[in-house]
Amino acid sequence: MGVVILIVMAAGVAAMLTRKLPTAFALVLLGVVIAFVAGAPLTGKESVLDTVLQEGAPMLASTMIAVLLGSWLGKLLDETGIAGTIVRKIVEFGGDRPTVVALGVLAVSALIGTVTGSAPAAMLAGIIGIPAMVAVGIPKVTAAGTILMGIAVGVPFELPIWQFFSTALDLPVPTVRGFMVKLFPLALVAAVAFVLIESRRRGVEHTWSLKTAADKPRSRRERLGDAPWYALLTPAVPLVLALGLDVAIIPSLLAGVVYALVTTTRPREMNKRLLRTLYGGFEVAAPPIALFIAIGILLAAVKLPGAIDALEPLVKAVSPQNPVLFVLVFTLLVPLCLYRGPLNVYGLGAGIAGVLIAAGIYPAVAVLGLAASYNQVFGVSDPTSTQTVWSAQYAGVGPQQVMVRTLPYVWAVALGGFCVTAAAHL
Amino acid sequence: MSSPPAASWETRDDLGFAVRLLSEIPVHEGRDPELLRHWARTAGAFGAALAPVPCRARVTERADGLERGLLARYVSRPTPTVELYTDTLAAAEELIDARGWRHWYPPGSVREAALAHEAVHEQLHHGPAKGALKRALGHLVLRAGRFRLYGHVAGAEEIAAHAYARTVCGLGRSPLHLTAALADAVTQREK
Repeated sequence: MGVVILIVMAAGVAAMLTRKLPTAFALVLLGVVIAFVAGAPLTGKESVLDTVLQEGAPMLASTMIAVLLGSWLGKLLDETGIAGTIVRKIVEFGGDRPTVVALGVLAVSALIGTVTGSAPAAMLAGIIGIPAMVAVGIPKVTAAGTILMGIAVGVPFELPIWQFFSTALDLPVPTVRGFMVKLFPLALVAAVAFVLIESRRRGVEHTWSLKTAADKPRSRRERLGDAPWYALLTPAVPLVLALGLDVAIIPSLLAGVVYALVTTTRPREMNKRLLRTLYGGFEVAAPPIALFIAIGILLAAVKLPGAIDALEPLVKAVSPQNPVLFVLVFTLLVPLCLYRGPLNVYGLGAGIAGVLIAAGIYPAVAVLGLAASYNQVFGVSDPTSTQTVWSAQYAGVGPQQVMVRTLPYVWAVALGGFCVTAAAHL
Repeated sequence: MSSPPAASWETRDDLGFAVRLLSEIPVHEGRDPELLRHWARTAGAFGAALAPVPCRARVTERADGLERGLLARYVSRPTPTVELYTDTLAAAEELIDARGWRHWYPPGSVREAALAHEAVHEQLHHGPAKGALKRALGHLVLRAGRFRLYGHVAGAEEIAAHAYARTVCGLGRSPLHLTAALADAVTQREK
């Protein structure tokens, strides 16, 4: 039966890879089919309808709220001009030194990456940051990669991600935070290395171009001007509260929303802006929330006793227990998290993580190490992820070009993450 | 921005094209149009006053410029190189003939202008002229006593490079005028 489940999983991956089915739909379908194959009844205890669908769908509810709040804050950063002002200041101060500008945009992207993820994060940093970098001579692929590597630096401190790993892997938030703090320096070193090495290797380029800057809707900020300097601290507010003062994730994000609002908005306009950006946040958060509903369903399916019994011997046989082998094998498997592959944390990878924990193959915190490390690769180099596609296209290059340029750096981050995991948790 | 009627290409002033170049860079979103006009004028004057420099970079030719939307490109690595896109250069020459602009752009002048343009980029990248341009633009971002820090104005180098190319190649109009008209013609053709 375990082999049948693996075949079903492979079919699901194929459906995602070939774009026959959107990832979220494929995961729901996988969850239901796996539950049936595992012998779950239609209704009742450990059943398809009551356990997999009814309990699975809201399993990651707290993550969904965190994602929504992060998206809301992201919308506020955009509408109030906070993100744009930060990037503009960076360019003004460091503009005649391309590497300094790139490092500055990297820092801004990291800050934004702590608040929100995916394409909206790339847009917040990239709409101004990419043309600004290109204008000072940074090659387009490097410019797009800088935005993505920067966001990846912020990802270990992205509060919705903490919530996701905490709920999905059934770990306390402080445990997740503890690992993320160890992952952060690896991501930071790789990102800085990317900017320095690629700037050195590729130098600068200037073009006599026929193309003008990409058309985009003029933002409200065009009429509002720059945000005040104290408002620029907004992205740090949730981080300081959650990381420094141990405040829970949702209140930390809410504090960021309130801070952004009161530092940029006149009292009589607050209600309007809050509602407008909140509704805008829903739009931004819709795709990840759909994905988290599907992941919850898949997790509920692979945690059914029948599925665990079927998969345990198979997964145990192929999962390395020796720490050196653990690092080697999972490092070699890094490409499997690209192109919506089976180790994509926001796809079947979440299900595999659930199996590894439920079957007791690795401690949950070791699975966190695997998932978080793969997430660093996926977030930067996957040519199908929305932030990579957006950044590449906005810079005027192909997502594959960005993947090729960034992959060695994020692969090294994953290797570092696996080493930390093996040393500390195996 | 919608394209102007064919006749107005002759009457639009070159400074307007330079202001447009600045205003289309998102960093300048929300800037006072008068400030952009001042920067465009200053950068143009700076470029026009630069002493002629030879193009020391290696020159190569490619034929995929229209596909990539490029007329020329300067890359500093692995060796400083100016890439000239021959198909775009040919399209520019055709457009000049079609519009009757030969008195502004003599035969072969677009290629010369491209080399001059990229030579200035090389000069601004490696030499002290970049700092001088920044001081000329006067975009003060920090002042502490006698210490003054001038900010970078994205796009100003490009305007300076076009103004330099116009001066040293003796063109009757800015290459920005030709670039805008060519971009418009290519877009119309693609439609």
